[in-house]
Amino acid sequence: MSINGMLTILMYALAPFRWLLIMGLIIIIALHLLTYRRGYKITHHRSRLTNLLALLIGLTAILWIPWLTHSTLGYVATVFDWIALLGAAAATSVMAFIILHPLSYLISFQDKE
Amino acid sequence: MQKSPLLTRRELLKVGSGLSVGSLLPFSGLSASTLRTQAHIVIVGGGAAGMAMVNRLARRLRGGTITLVEPRETHHYQPGWTMVASGIWAAERTTRLNAQFLPRGVKWLRDYADSIDADSKRITLVSGETLEYDFLIVASGIQLNYHLIDGMTPALVGQHGIGSVYAGIEGASRTNQAIQTWLQSGHGRGIFTAAPTPVKCAGAPLKMTFTTLSRLEDTGRRDAFDVDYMAPGASLFSQPWVDEFIKQRFDSQGVNRRHHYRLSAIDPQAKQAEFAFVGPESEFTSHHQLREAEFRRDDQPTVIADYDFLHVVPPMSAHDFVKQSALIAQDGPFRGEWLDVDIHTLQHNRYPEVFGIGDVIGAPINKTAASVKAQAPVVEENLLAVMQGNALPASHSGYTSCPMITGIGKAMLVEFGYADNFAFMPSFPFIDPTEESWAVWVMKDRMLQPAYYAVLEGKA
Ligand SMILES: Cc1cc2nc3c(=O)[nH]c(=O)nc-3n(C[C@H](O)[C@H](O)[C@H](O)COP(=O)(O)OP(=O)(O)OC[C@H]3O[C@@H](n4cnc5c(N)ncnc54)[C@H](O)[C@@H]3O)c2cc1C
Repeated sequence: MSINGMLTILMYALAPFRWLLIMGLIIIIALHLLTYRRGYKITHHRSRLTNLLALLIGLTAILWIPWLTHSTLGYVATVFDWIALLGAAAATSVMAFIILHPLSYLISFQDKE
Repeated sequence: MQKSPLLTRRELLKVGSGLSVGSLLPFSGLSASTLRTQAHIVIVGGGAAGMAMVNRLARRLRGGTITLVEPRETHHYQPGWTMVASGIWAAERTTRLNAQFLPRGVKWLRDYADSIDADSKRITLVSGETLEYDFLIVASGIQLNYHLIDGMTPALVGQHGIGSVYAGIEGASRTNQAIQTWLQSGHGRGIFTAAPTPVKCAGAPLKMTFTTLSRLEDTGRRDAFDVDYMAPGASLFSQPWVDEFIKQRFDSQGVNRRHHYRLSAIDPQAKQAEFAFVGPESEFTSHHQLREAEFRRDDQPTVIADYDFLHVVPPMSAHDFVKQSALIAQDGPFRGEWLDVDIHTLQHNRYPEVFGIGDVIGAPINKTAASVKAQAPVVEENLLAVMQGNALPASHSGYTSCPMITGIGKAMLVEFGYADNFAFMPSFPFIDPTEESWAVWVMKDRMLQPAYYAVLEGKA
């Protein structure tokens, strides 16, 4: 299958979640804008708890992603299965970090105020 | 009437008085050029194949008329029925309105084709209306011949322990309920059958067995249930490697395989099924041989089996209106049952202005939506070539695919074609067709439906 074909199918697969994705993106952008206006910088703010939580969410995703797809971890068997699952778990971790990191800044900012 | 597979010059001139190659406009990077024409193209059937052709031709042709004959308002995503019957998907997930897929400028007649007069190039609809065509695409799918099993009607699905994933979306839902009722009873015998004819998605009866085995195992009381699989032929699946794999897997999962038996009658009240022994010495040892006329044979020995759950797979053929037309195969393995096309060019073997696509065609494999995806560009290119009097440029490899569900949560991406005794034709170098995989299951669960809709819209 060509790359073009794969992209077409991916677009069709994502189409039903279009509004959900747009909403999620708006929330993330709004959160980042809000925190940036209060002095947040992704490279400056340190939060061990956020890092730990994002990592934990990513790790647990290895269990709940197969469950969400009506399957179980036991059926993750081939090399491609593991690459796909670890990729999805890593992406979940990054998403969790992108949301939790500015949130943790906001909370610490409010505590300081 | 026998005709050569090329149109005569006179026919071409009649069809294409204004026929010329139009602008070389790219359309979504898909097709190369448009064709100006005055021809009337009729597509019978607006399922996976018909709808894909409507969209492709609407893009490629300028002028002319495209008429779709399709009686149903609702489009059914049939590959999802296995998921519904296995209790994984809600039924609503498999339906959409046909109108959503129909491009502008196409005339849609909401009626059944009643007969085709191929010599006069005329179709009569059930309403009595007649249509003259210059070119015809037959895409009317499959007829389910439940009546060839004595005592069986689709209305029985969901009652008396009877299931049938093929009996429409309601049938799939009721099959799930019948399986659920059997599971709740805590014990008993389930009999899964296969048909002595080609069937759409030949993997579906096997998938139903595997998903039910998963559900039986989930009860924690697998030993309380007996599972039988009754196959009319020596094989369970056309692809040899997969056939052997499934046989071994059935054996290891405690499925009692019986070969050369076809379901011949049922007594729903008594929950009994009659099986006719059709081999191995019989000429019908392959499950791709039996024709309607050959079903009622008194000399076949029969056995009666009690069941608590029975999965019925009806014999299948082209629809009666195709069978009664001159378009039906006259000899060879598909005679009397399937549309007579060249399995590579998909052009009719005797009527060059007629093409066939999808389940209706006589081909050794191919009754899948995945095949439709591969066939649609071939029919598009070859039809346009015929319209211009050119040689047919495109050839179908026989590509077909079946995500063989081997349990709820895992599947194998089985893709193969005509060549080398149905050798594998993997689309993705990183997916091994012989391995059970979670990622392939996710494809079946999440990706194939969008891919199917892309095919309908002529975009994949
Ligand atoms: C349970 C099940 C599971 C399946 N699983 C898979 C799978 O996993 N992968 C896969 O690739 N494929 C699968 N398939 C097969 C796939 O759905 C079919 O191969 C595909 O739909 C064939 O397309 P078609 O257009 O030829 O037939 P259909 O999609 O059936 O369309 C035929 C159309 O013709 C219309 N029609 C019928 N009679 C007339 C008439 N007299 N006049 C006008 N129109 C008429 C019908 O209304 C229908 O819309 C499965 C099918 C089933 C039933």
